[in-house]
Amino acid sequence: MSGLADDALIDYLRAAREAERHDAMKAAVAVLVFGYHDTLMNRARLKLPEPDVADVVSETLASAIASAFDGSSVGEFRSWLHTILSRRIADYHDARTRTPKTAPLPGEHQGDDEVWGAEPSEPFEGDALHARGCLEQAYGELDRDSHRAVIDLYVLHAHSAAETAELVGDGMTEANVHQIASRFQRRFKQLLEEGSDTGEEP
Amino acid sequence: MTDVLQLLSEYKQASRASGDADPRPYLARVSGSDRELLAGLIDAYLEQAPRREFDAERFQGSPAATIAEEVQRSLAGESGIWPALLPQLRRRSELKRSELVRQLAARLGAQAQEQKVGEYYHRMEQGLLPAAGVSDTVLEALGKIVGWTSTALRTAGTLPTPGPPRSDAGAVFARTHRGGAPEGTPGPGGAAPAAEEWDEVDRLFRGAPPSA
Repeated sequence: MSGLADDALIDYLRAAREAERHDAMKAAVAVLVFGYHDTLMNRARLKLPEPDVADVVSETLASAIASAFDGSSVGEFRSWLHTILSRRIADYHDARTRTPKTAPLPGEHQGDDEVWGAEPSEPFEGDALHARGCLEQAYGELDRDSHRAVIDLYVLHAHSAAETAELVGDGMTEANVHQIASRFQRRFKQLLEEGSDTGEEP
Repeated sequence: MTDVLQLLSEYKQASRASGDADPRPYLARVSGSDRELLAGLIDAYLEQAPRREFDAERFQGSPAATIAEEVQRSLAGESGIWPALLPQLRRRSELKRSELVRQLAARLGAQAQEQKVGEYYHRMEQGLLPAAGVSDTVLEALGKIVGWTSTALRTAGTLPTPGPPRSDAGAVFARTHRGGAPEGTPGPGGAAPAAEEWDEVDRLFRGAPPSA
Protein backbone atom coordinates (compact mmCIF):
# COMPACT_ATOMS: atom_id res chain seq x y z
CA MET A 1 0.00 0.00 0.00
CA SER A 2 2.78 2.44 0.91
CA GLY A 3 4.22 2.03 -2.59
CA LEU A 4 1.13 3.56 -4.18
CA ALA A 5 1.11 7.21 -5.28
CA ASP A 6 -1.34 9.58 -3.61
CA ASP A 7 -3.85 9.50 -6.45
CA ALA A 8 -3.78 5.72 -6.51
CA LEU A 9 -4.45 5.66 -2.77
CA ILE A 10 -7.41 7.99 -3.19
CA ASP A 11 -8.75 5.79 -6.00
CA TYR A 12 -8.29 2.75 -3.80
CA LEU A 13 -10.19 4.46 -0.98
CA ARG A 14 -13.03 5.36 -3.29
CA ALA A 15 -13.28 1.80 -4.60
CA ALA A 16 -13.17 0.33 -1.09
CA ARG A 17 -15.94 2.63 0.00
CA GLU A 18 -18.13 1.82 -2.98
CA ALA A 19 -17.68 -1.85 -2.17
CA GLU A 20 -18.56 -1.09 1.47
CA ARG A 21 -15.18 -2.49 2.55
CA HIS A 22 -14.70 0.05 5.29
CA ASP A 23 -11.94 -1.89 7.02
CA ALA A 24 -10.01 -1.97 3.77
CA MET A 25 -9.81 1.83 3.84
CA LYS A 26 -7.78 1.87 7.05
CA ALA A 27 -4.40 1.10 5.55
CA ALA A 28 -4.71 3.67 2.77
CA VAL A 29 -5.85 6.38 5.17
CA ALA A 30 -2.98 5.50 7.51
CA VAL A 31 -0.40 5.84 4.72
CA LEU A 32 -1.76 9.24 3.68
CA VAL A 33 -2.11 10.63 7.19
CA PHE A 34 1.25 9.36 8.43
CA GLY A 35 2.93 10.49 5.23
CA TYR A 36 1.96 14.13 5.59
CA HIS A 37 1.17 14.66 9.26
CA ASP A 38 4.60 15.78 10.46
CA THR A 39 5.23 18.01 7.46
CA LEU A 40 1.93 19.78 8.05
CA MET A 41 2.65 20.09 11.77
CA ASN A 42 5.99 21.75 11.06
CA ARG A 43 4.51 24.10 8.50
CA ALA A 44 1.77 25.04 10.94
CA ARG A 45 4.35 25.65 13.68
CA LEU A 46 5.75 28.44 11.54
CA LYS A 47 2.44 30.27 11.61
CA LEU A 48 0.39 29.24 14.62
CA PRO A 49 0.80 29.07 18.39
CA GLU A 50 1.71 25.56 19.49
CA PRO A 51 -1.53 24.75 21.37
CA ASP A 52 -3.53 25.18 18.16
CA VAL A 53 -1.19 23.43 15.73
CA ALA A 54 -2.44 19.87 16.19
CA ASP A 55 -6.11 20.81 15.86
CA VAL A 56 -5.60 22.78 12.67
CA VAL A 57 -3.55 19.95 11.15
CA SER A 58 -6.13 17.37 12.12
CA GLU A 59 -8.92 19.40 10.50
CA THR A 60 -6.77 19.92 7.44
CA LEU A 61 -6.11 16.23 6.92
CA ALA A 62 -9.74 15.26 7.44
CA SER A 63 -11.06 17.96 5.10
CA ALA A 64 -8.46 17.40 2.42
CA ILE A 65 -8.85 13.63 2.26
CA ALA A 66 -12.63 13.86 2.40
CA SER A 67 -12.90 16.48 -0.29
CA ALA A 68 -10.35 14.77 -2.54
CA PHE A 69 -12.28 11.60 -2.00
CA ASP A 70 -15.72 12.85 -2.98
CA GLY A 71 -14.90 12.89 -6.66
CA SER A 72 -14.08 16.57 -7.07
CA SER A 73 -11.04 17.38 -9.12
CA VAL A 74 -8.46 18.72 -6.71
CA GLY A 75 -5.30 18.25 -8.77
CA GLU A 76 -2.23 16.85 -7.08
CA PHE A 77 -3.17 15.69 -3.60
CA ARG A 78 -0.08 17.10 -1.90
CA SER A 79 -0.71 20.58 -3.31
CA TRP A 80 -4.35 20.33 -2.34
CA LEU A 81 -3.41 19.38 1.21
CA HIS A 82 -1.09 22.36 1.56
CA THR A 83 -3.71 24.64 0.04
CA ILE A 84 -6.22 23.53 2.66
CA LEU A 85 -3.65 24.06 5.41
CA SER A 86 -2.97 27.58 4.15
CA ARG A 87 -6.69 28.33 4.14
CA ARG A 88 -7.10 27.00 7.66
CA ILE A 89 -4.21 29.13 8.87
CA ALA A 90 -5.60 32.20 7.13
CA ASP A 91 -9.03 31.52 8.66
CA TYR A 92 -7.41 31.14 12.05
CA HIS A 93 -5.72 34.53 11.86
CA ASP A 94 -8.77 36.10 10.26
CA ALA A 95 -10.88 34.86 13.16
CA ARG A 96 -8.65 36.69 15.62
CA THR A 97 -9.77 39.99 14.22
CA ARG A 98 -13.46 39.24 14.40
CA THR A 99 -16.16 38.05 16.70
CA PRO A 100 -17.59 34.57 15.99
CA LYS A 101 -18.58 34.15 12.38
CA THR A 102 -22.09 34.17 11.10
CA ALA A 103 -21.71 33.80 7.35
CA PRO A 104 -19.35 31.07 6.18
CA LEU A 105 -18.67 30.57 2.51
CA PRO A 106 -19.13 27.31 0.59
CA GLY A 107 -16.93 24.29 1.32
CA GLU A 108 -13.68 23.46 -0.41
CA HIS A 109 -15.14 20.61 -2.37
CA GLN A 110 -17.07 23.20 -4.31
CA GLY A 111 -13.85 24.92 -5.22
CA ASP A 112 -14.30 28.07 -3.18
CA ASP A 113 -12.76 29.40 -0.04
CA GLU A 114 -14.48 28.63 3.19
CA VAL A 115 -14.74 30.36 6.47
CA TRP A 116 -14.11 27.75 9.11
CA GLY A 117 -15.74 28.07 12.44
CA ALA A 118 -13.17 28.57 15.15
CA GLU A 119 -13.36 31.57 17.39
CA PRO A 120 -10.44 33.92 18.05
CA SER A 121 -7.55 32.58 20.08
CA GLU A 122 -4.49 34.07 21.74
CA PRO A 123 -2.45 36.69 19.84
CA PHE A 124 0.40 35.24 17.82
CA GLU A 125 2.50 36.60 15.01
CA GLY A 126 3.35 33.79 12.60
CA ASP A 127 6.87 33.75 11.28
CA ALA A 128 6.12 32.84 7.71
CA LEU A 129 2.97 34.82 7.01
CA HIS A 130 4.49 37.83 5.29
CA ALA A 131 7.55 35.98 4.07
CA ARG A 132 5.69 33.74 1.67
CA GLY A 133 4.47 36.59 -0.52
CA CYS A 134 7.97 38.07 -0.65
CA LEU A 135 9.45 34.72 -1.60
CA GLU A 136 7.00 34.34 -4.44
CA GLN A 137 7.79 37.83 -5.68
CA ALA A 138 11.55 37.25 -5.56
CA TYR A 139 11.10 33.98 -7.39
CA GLY A 140 8.87 35.62 -10.00
CA GLU A 141 11.54 38.22 -10.68
CA LEU A 142 14.07 35.58 -11.77
CA ASP A 143 14.27 35.93 -15.52
CA ARG A 144 16.11 32.78 -16.46
CA ASP A 145 14.78 29.25 -16.37
CA SER A 146 18.16 28.02 -15.18
CA HIS A 147 18.08 30.39 -12.21
CA ARG A 148 14.60 29.28 -11.26
CA ALA A 149 15.78 25.69 -11.53
CA VAL A 150 18.63 26.47 -9.13
CA ILE A 151 16.21 27.90 -6.58
CA ASP A 152 13.86 24.95 -7.00
CA LEU A 153 16.54 22.33 -6.64
CA TYR A 154 19.00 23.89 -4.24
CA VAL A 155 16.87 26.14 -2.05
CA LEU A 156 13.39 24.63 -2.07
CA HIS A 157 14.34 20.99 -2.46
CA ALA A 158 17.09 19.00 -0.83
CA HIS A 159 19.79 18.88 -3.52
CA SER A 160 23.36 19.92 -2.82
CA ALA A 161 25.01 22.66 -4.85
CA ALA A 162 27.01 20.09 -6.79
CA GLU A 163 23.93 18.00 -7.60
CA THR A 164 22.03 21.12 -8.60
CA ALA A 165 24.79 22.24 -10.98
CA GLU A 166 24.83 18.82 -12.59
CA LEU A 167 21.05 18.63 -12.89
CA VAL A 168 20.72 22.11 -14.38
CA GLY A 169 23.68 21.54 -16.75
CA ASP A 170 24.38 24.05 -19.49
CA GLY A 171 27.66 25.16 -17.92
CA MET A 172 26.21 25.71 -14.44
CA THR A 173 28.88 25.36 -11.75
CA GLU A 174 28.70 24.86 -8.02
CA ALA A 175 29.97 28.41 -7.53
CA ASN A 176 27.19 29.72 -9.80
CA VAL A 177 24.62 27.88 -7.70
CA HIS A 178 25.87 29.56 -4.53
CA GLN A 179 25.88 32.98 -6.23
CA ILE A 180 22.35 32.61 -7.57
CA ALA A 181 21.07 31.39 -4.20
CA SER A 182 22.77 34.27 -2.36
CA ARG A 183 21.35 36.86 -4.76
CA PHE A 184 17.92 35.32 -4.34
CA GLN A 185 18.29 35.42 -0.55
CA ARG A 186 19.34 39.11 -0.66
CA ARG A 187 16.41 40.08 -2.85
CA PHE A 188 13.98 38.10 -0.69
CA LYS A 189 15.32 39.85 2.41
CA GLN A 190 15.12 43.24 0.75
CA LEU A 191 11.45 42.66 -0.05
CA LEU A 192 10.80 41.58 3.52
CA GLU A 193 12.43 44.72 4.89
CA GLU A 194 10.59 46.97 2.45
CA GLY A 195 7.31 45.38 3.55
CA SER A 196 8.20 45.94 7.19
CA ASP A 197 9.18 49.57 6.57
CA THR A 198 5.95 50.45 4.84
CA GLY A 199 3.79 48.46 7.20
CA GLU A 200 2.43 46.70 4.15
CA GLU A 201 0.03 43.84 4.79
CA PRO A 202 1.12 40.42 3.58
CA MET B 1 25.89 36.76 11.33
CA THR B 2 24.37 33.32 10.98
CA ASP B 3 23.87 32.47 7.35
CA VAL B 4 20.22 31.81 6.58
CA LEU B 5 20.95 29.42 3.73
CA GLN B 6 23.27 27.46 5.99
CA LEU B 7 20.51 27.17 8.59
CA LEU B 8 18.07 26.12 5.89
CA SER B 9 20.51 23.46 4.80
CA GLU B 10 20.85 22.20 8.38
CA TYR B 11 17.10 22.11 8.73
CA LYS B 12 16.68 20.15 5.50
CA GLN B 13 19.27 17.61 6.64
CA ALA B 14 17.50 17.15 9.97
CA SER B 15 14.14 16.90 8.26
CA ARG B 16 15.38 14.23 5.85
CA ALA B 17 17.03 12.28 8.64
CA SER B 18 14.14 12.20 11.10
CA GLY B 19 11.14 13.02 8.96
CA ASP B 20 9.98 15.30 11.75
CA ALA B 21 12.23 18.26 12.42
CA ASP B 22 10.70 21.09 14.43
CA PRO B 23 11.69 24.35 12.67
CA ARG B 24 11.47 26.54 15.76
CA PRO B 25 14.95 25.84 17.19
CA TYR B 26 16.40 26.89 13.83
CA LEU B 27 14.33 30.06 13.76
CA ALA B 28 15.50 30.86 17.28
CA ARG B 29 19.05 31.21 15.97
CA VAL B 30 18.18 34.28 13.88
CA SER B 31 16.12 37.39 14.41
CA GLY B 32 14.38 40.19 12.54
CA SER B 33 14.08 39.85 8.80
CA ASP B 34 16.51 36.91 8.78
CA ARG B 35 14.06 34.99 10.91
CA GLU B 36 11.22 35.79 8.53
CA LEU B 37 13.43 34.87 5.62
CA LEU B 38 14.29 31.49 7.11
CA ALA B 39 10.65 30.85 8.02
CA GLY B 40 9.57 31.57 4.46
CA LEU B 41 12.22 29.29 3.02
CA ILE B 42 11.42 26.42 5.41
CA ASP B 43 7.72 26.88 4.65
CA ALA B 44 8.33 26.62 0.92
CA TYR B 45 10.63 23.63 1.41
CA LEU B 46 8.07 21.75 3.50
CA GLU B 47 5.38 22.40 0.94
CA GLN B 48 7.47 20.55 -1.62
CA ALA B 49 8.47 17.71 0.70
CA PRO B 50 7.44 14.27 -0.55
CA ARG B 51 5.14 11.97 1.37
CA ARG B 52 6.98 10.28 4.20
CA GLU B 53 7.37 6.53 3.90
CA PHE B 54 4.98 4.62 6.11
CA ASP B 55 6.46 3.21 9.29
CA ALA B 56 4.01 0.97 11.11
CA GLU B 57 5.98 1.06 14.35
CA ARG B 58 6.10 4.86 14.54
CA PHE B 59 2.52 5.15 13.38
CA GLN B 60 1.20 2.95 16.18
CA GLY B 61 0.00 5.11 19.06
CA SER B 62 1.04 8.36 17.36
CA PRO B 63 -1.22 11.42 16.94
CA ALA B 64 -1.37 10.49 13.25
CA ALA B 65 -2.97 7.16 14.19
CA THR B 66 -5.77 8.95 16.06
CA ILE B 67 -6.37 11.26 13.11
CA ALA B 68 -6.33 8.34 10.67
CA GLU B 69 -8.95 6.54 12.71
CA GLU B 70 -11.19 9.62 12.75
CA VAL B 71 -10.74 10.18 9.03
CA GLN B 72 -11.51 6.55 8.29
CA ARG B 73 -14.66 6.80 10.38
CA SER B 74 -15.62 9.96 8.49
CA LEU B 75 -15.19 8.33 5.11
CA ALA B 76 -17.11 5.25 6.17
CA GLY B 77 -19.93 7.15 7.79
CA GLU B 78 -22.82 9.43 6.98
CA SER B 79 -21.82 12.50 8.94
CA GLY B 80 -19.11 14.17 6.87
CA ILE B 81 -16.03 14.91 8.91
CA TRP B 82 -17.87 15.18 12.21
CA PRO B 83 -16.06 12.07 13.49
CA ALA B 84 -12.79 13.95 13.02
CA LEU B 85 -14.05 17.35 14.07
CA LEU B 86 -16.48 16.95 16.97
CA PRO B 87 -14.18 15.11 19.41
CA GLN B 88 -11.55 17.72 18.72
CA LEU B 89 -13.91 20.65 19.37
CA ARG B 90 -15.03 18.96 22.55
CA ARG B 91 -11.42 18.54 23.72
CA ARG B 92 -10.63 22.13 22.81
CA SER B 93 -13.61 23.28 24.87
CA GLU B 94 -12.30 21.13 27.72
CA LEU B 95 -15.65 19.44 28.09
CA LYS B 96 -16.27 15.81 28.92
CA ARG B 97 -18.86 14.27 26.67
CA SER B 98 -21.31 13.95 29.56
CA GLU B 99 -21.03 17.66 30.28
CA LEU B 100 -21.40 18.61 26.63
CA VAL B 101 -24.49 16.42 26.39
CA ARG B 102 -25.92 17.97 29.54
CA GLN B 103 -25.50 21.45 28.09
CA LEU B 104 -26.82 20.38 24.69
CA ALA B 105 -29.94 18.83 26.21
CA ALA B 106 -30.50 21.99 28.27
CA ARG B 107 -30.16 24.25 25.24
CA LEU B 108 -32.60 22.07 23.33
CA GLY B 109 -35.06 22.14 26.22
CA ALA B 110 -34.74 18.37 26.46
CA GLN B 111 -33.26 17.95 29.92
CA ALA B 112 -35.66 15.09 30.60
CA GLN B 113 -34.26 13.22 27.61
CA GLU B 114 -30.59 13.84 28.23
CA GLN B 115 -29.72 10.19 27.64
CA LYS B 116 -31.41 10.16 24.26
CA VAL B 117 -29.68 13.40 23.29
CA GLY B 118 -26.42 11.77 24.36
CA GLU B 119 -27.02 8.77 22.15
CA TYR B 120 -27.71 10.96 19.15
CA TYR B 121 -24.63 13.05 19.85
CA HIS B 122 -22.58 9.86 20.12
CA ARG B 123 -23.81 8.84 16.67
CA MET B 124 -22.74 12.21 15.29
CA GLU B 125 -19.21 11.66 16.62
CA GLN B 126 -19.18 8.12 15.24
CA GLY B 127 -20.38 9.13 11.78
CA LEU B 128 -23.51 7.04 12.17
CA LEU B 129 -26.14 9.77 11.96
CA PRO B 130 -27.03 11.21 8.54
CA ALA B 131 -25.95 14.83 8.77
CA ALA B 132 -28.78 16.07 6.58
CA GLY B 133 -31.34 15.10 9.20
CA VAL B 134 -29.70 17.05 12.03
CA SER B 135 -31.56 20.31 12.46
CA ASP B 136 -30.08 23.79 12.53
CA THR B 137 -31.42 24.06 16.08
CA VAL B 138 -29.09 21.27 17.18
CA LEU B 139 -26.13 22.69 15.30
CA GLU B 140 -26.70 26.16 16.67
CA ALA B 141 -26.89 24.82 20.22
CA LEU B 142 -23.81 22.66 19.70
CA GLY B 143 -21.93 25.52 18.04
CA LYS B 144 -22.55 27.76 21.04
CA ILE B 145 -21.14 25.10 23.35
CA VAL B 146 -17.98 24.36 21.37
CA GLY B 147 -17.40 27.83 19.91
CA TRP B 148 -18.16 27.14 16.26
CA THR B 149 -20.79 28.46 13.92
CA SER B 150 -23.70 26.24 13.00
CA THR B 151 -23.03 26.84 9.32
CA ALA B 152 -19.44 25.68 9.64
CA LEU B 153 -20.67 22.58 11.46
CA ARG B 154 -23.21 21.99 8.69
CA THR B 155 -20.50 22.30 6.05
CA ALA B 156 -18.28 19.83 7.92
CA GLY B 157 -21.20 17.42 8.04
CA THR B 158 -21.55 17.41 4.27
CA LEU B 159 -18.04 16.26 3.49
CA PRO B 160 -17.64 13.93 1.75
CA THR B 161 -20.69 13.00 -0.27
CA PRO B 162 -22.32 10.34 1.90
CA GLY B 163 -21.58 6.79 0.83
CA PRO B 164 -23.89 3.82 0.84
CA PRO B 165 -25.59 3.14 4.18
CA ARG B 166 -23.48 1.10 6.54
CA SER B 167 -24.87 -2.34 7.07
CA ASP B 168 -22.90 -2.59 10.31
CA ALA B 169 -24.05 0.77 11.70
CA GLY B 170 -26.21 -0.71 14.41
CA ALA B 171 -23.55 -3.22 15.38
CA VAL B 172 -20.83 -0.58 15.61
CA PHE B 173 -23.04 1.57 17.71
CA ALA B 174 -23.87 -1.37 19.95
CA ARG B 175 -20.20 -2.21 20.38
CA THR B 176 -19.06 1.32 21.11
CA HIS B 177 -21.96 2.62 23.12
CA ARG B 178 -21.82 1.72 26.76
CA GLY B 179 -25.25 2.55 28.03
CA GLY B 180 -27.56 1.37 25.28
CA ALA B 181 -30.96 2.86 24.66
CA PRO B 182 -33.19 3.45 27.65
CA GLU B 183 -35.83 0.81 28.10
CA GLY B 184 -39.03 1.52 26.29
CA THR B 185 -37.48 4.33 24.29
CA PRO B 186 -37.18 4.19 20.52
CA GLY B 187 -33.42 3.80 20.19
CA PRO B 188 -31.51 6.37 18.20
CA GLY B 189 -28.70 3.81 17.97
CA GLY B 190 -30.47 1.58 15.51
CA ALA B 191 -33.33 1.89 13.07
CA ALA B 192 -35.43 5.03 13.15
CA PRO B 193 -38.42 4.80 15.48
CA ALA B 194 -41.84 4.28 13.97
CA ALA B 195 -43.60 7.48 12.95
CA GLU B 196 -46.07 7.34 15.83
CA GLU B 197 -43.21 7.06 18.32
CA TRP B 198 -41.29 10.00 16.83
CA ASP B 199 -40.81 12.69 19.43
CA GLU B 200 -39.28 16.17 19.38
CA VAL B 201 -35.74 14.91 20.03
CA ASP B 202 -36.02 12.48 17.11
CA ARG B 203 -37.20 15.34 14.93
CA LEU B 204 -34.30 17.53 16.02
CA PHE B 205 -31.71 14.89 15.16
CA ARG B 206 -33.32 12.97 12.32
CA GLY B 207 -35.57 15.47 10.55
CA ALA B 208 -39.10 14.66 9.53
CA PRO B 209 -40.55 11.32 10.67
CA PRO B 210 -40.89 8.59 8.07
CA SER B 211 -44.28 8.53 6.41
CA ALA B 212 -46.44 5.80 7.86
